[in-house]
Amino acid sequence: MNLREFRHILRQALYFPVLLLLVLAGFFLQQLGKSSVLLRAINRSDKVTAQVIDLQKLILDQETGVRGYELTHDPEMLAPYNAGTVPIQNEFAELGKLLAGNDLQLQRLAILSDRYQIWLGLTQRILSKDGSLTTGTEVYKQGQQMMNGIRDTVNAMLHDEDLRRRILSAEAPDLRHRVFIAILSASLCIGLAVALFTRQRLRTVSRSYNATLDALEERSREVHESRQWFQTTLESIGDAVIACDIAGNVEFLNAIASGLTGWMMHDALGHPLTEVFRIIHEETREPAESPVEMVLRLKRAVVLPTHTVLLSRQGREFVIDDSAAPILDAHGQMTGVVLVFRDVTEQRRSAAALVAGEKLAIAGRLTASIAHEIHNPLDSVANLLFLLRDEDDPAKRTEYLQMAQQELGRTMQISRTMLSLYREPKAPVAVDLKDLIEGVLLLLERRILQQHIQLKSEFVEPCVVEGFPAELRQVITNVLVNAIEAAGPGGHMRVRLESAGPEEFRGAGALIEVADSGAGITEDAAQRIFQPFFTTKGEQGTGLGLWVSMGIVQKHGGTIRLQNCGQMEYTGACARIYLPTKTLASADRPVAVFLG
Amino acid sequence: MATGNQSVPKPLILCIDDEELGLQIRGTVLERAGYRVITAMDGDSGLSLFASEPVDAVILDYFMPSMNGAEVATEMRRLRPKVPIILLSAYLNLPPEVTGLVNMTILKGDGPDVLLAKVRQVLPAGPEGAEMEALA
Repeated sequence: MNLREFRHILRQALYFPVLLLLVLAGFFLQQLGKSSVLLRAINRSDKVTAQVIDLQKLILDQETGVRGYELTHDPEMLAPYNAGTVPIQNEFAELGKLLAGNDLQLQRLAILSDRYQIWLGLTQRILSKDGSLTTGTEVYKQGQQMMNGIRDTVNAMLHDEDLRRRILSAEAPDLRHRVFIAILSASLCIGLAVALFTRQRLRTVSRSYNATLDALEERSREVHESRQWFQTTLESIGDAVIACDIAGNVEFLNAIASGLTGWMMHDALGHPLTEVFRIIHEETREPAESPVEMVLRLKRAVVLPTHTVLLSRQGREFVIDDSAAPILDAHGQMTGVVLVFRDVTEQRRSAAALVAGEKLAIAGRLTASIAHEIHNPLDSVANLLFLLRDEDDPAKRTEYLQMAQQELGRTMQISRTMLSLYREPKAPVAVDLKDLIEGVLLLLERRILQQHIQLKSEFVEPCVVEGFPAELRQVITNVLVNAIEAAGPGGHMRVRLESAGPEEFRGAGALIEVADSGAGITEDAAQRIFQPFFTTKGEQGTGLGLWVSMGIVQKHGGTIRLQNCGQMEYTGACARIYLPTKTLASADRPVAVFLG
Repeated sequence: MATGNQSVPKPLILCIDDEELGLQIRGTVLERAGYRVITAMDGDSGLSLFASEPVDAVILDYFMPSMNGAEVATEMRRLRPKVPIILLSAYLNLPPEVTGLVNMTILKGDGPDVLLAKVRQVLPAGPEGAEMEALA
């Protein structure tokens, strides 16, 4: 039941009894009206009786006066007669009004009036000493008879009125009793109806209230269970989770978070996050910005910069990968911040091992060329020594020795080039990119020749950048070997080096472009080509070359892009490496690797 | 620089290698050992010499531009299958289909003693006298 229904029921419970009571009141009034009609009828009957008696008395007074005058002829005796004339007329008029609707009595009143008029006529003649009148005794008798007639009519009226009154009076107690019974039963009925209705309505409300209580109980149990479920889920999750309120105080941390921070849930509760979750930058060791502040500032989820180190309560250090997101309520208001992080120390170590492994893999890919380049001059030197052993001619000896020296020099150069893949200065040095690229090409020359690849080198201008030559050589080797493998026998490749002017987002530097006539890269491969372990070469590739190259180039502050060039004979992929003149790299800064 | 006046003509060895200096020195070593040597710097010119000269043995470099040793050896076997071929290589492990084409293989850097020993193996009727003289 919702609030509207509840109000509706309340309204019903109020208005229905009021309505019934109004009906009851109406019934009362109607019953009372009935008895008052009876009372009025009795009153009128009494009034009629009184009026008739009054009238009779007035008429008798007139007669007495007239009779006295007849005897004495004293005009004073006529005073009652004269005084009665007007009231008698009034009495007749009033009785006429009172008896309206009672035809029998009205008829009698009319007879009375006629008889009175006749008597008055006789009286007038007596008073005017009409000669036609016979003897006094006769007149007297005539008057007596008339008066008797009036008296009879009056008596009949009085009798009738008395009868009526008696009938009405007999009715009164009966009516009172009936009214009382009616009122009592109506009251009982209505009281019962109100009680039943109210009971029924209240029962509905009570049932609904109980249902609501049950639902609330169920809801609260569900909420509890769901809370429990979320808690368990967060506890069981493989990543560390810390939730804190808007003020940055810890509200929850799961077991993994406890393990990494060294804080138990009950210790950490209510403590500021900055105390529990102490993070510093891996290289600078400066405190890192609190993720809570970052989220509050940016009002969106943030990913912490890489190279963040978490210091545990016990002083242990973990390289972590971390993200923080706002906790929003139903209205979109931020109520807290949740941190999700994990220990990537091991991952970082594996990545470093992969980077080192890739260095060896590059050397491996060069082995064939190196073997050839070293064995050829060594073979010559061995042969020359053999010849020198039996040669007596000093001129010949000198010639052989010179040749041996020349061949040894070549061997040295090759071995030095190879070693330079590994030897690295402590600080960035000036690197002549033309020398560097030519050195790598020297190692790859045979391979290019053997595969009949047409190589076009375009060194537009000398380019010197700051950097670590061994790492850059590794990048160049990687890109060139990729181009050779892509171009395949009889293919084309072009190496171009030119300086690049400063642009909006980068300073001046050098641009190395390596294009080949291979199949190019598919869109799918382009998306993933810089990810670790992605290779298009099956068992032949480690899938780490471009990933490590990307790391090295980015460490130098440069960029590396791979796309299809689609120019003339260079139909395949085109690698563009930009290196800034002033490097960002330092010896302490490891090759940045991108996990995933 | 042939020496001696044997009635038997000295065996003729065809050396093919794209490394000019190495080829020249190898030729000198073989001549010192008593063989006649002709040289070529790539597969094509080597094959034309092989076709025109009465070559007794071939010392062939494997890794060369334009035409590798295996291709040259296949062609030679087609022309004159009896002529022994020694394949020179800087690689330690050449595929069997390549080594199966030739009589033997030599690793570059093995030195002249190994080279001469193998040449003697494929040319038993070698210039004994000349060799003796050379070693004396």
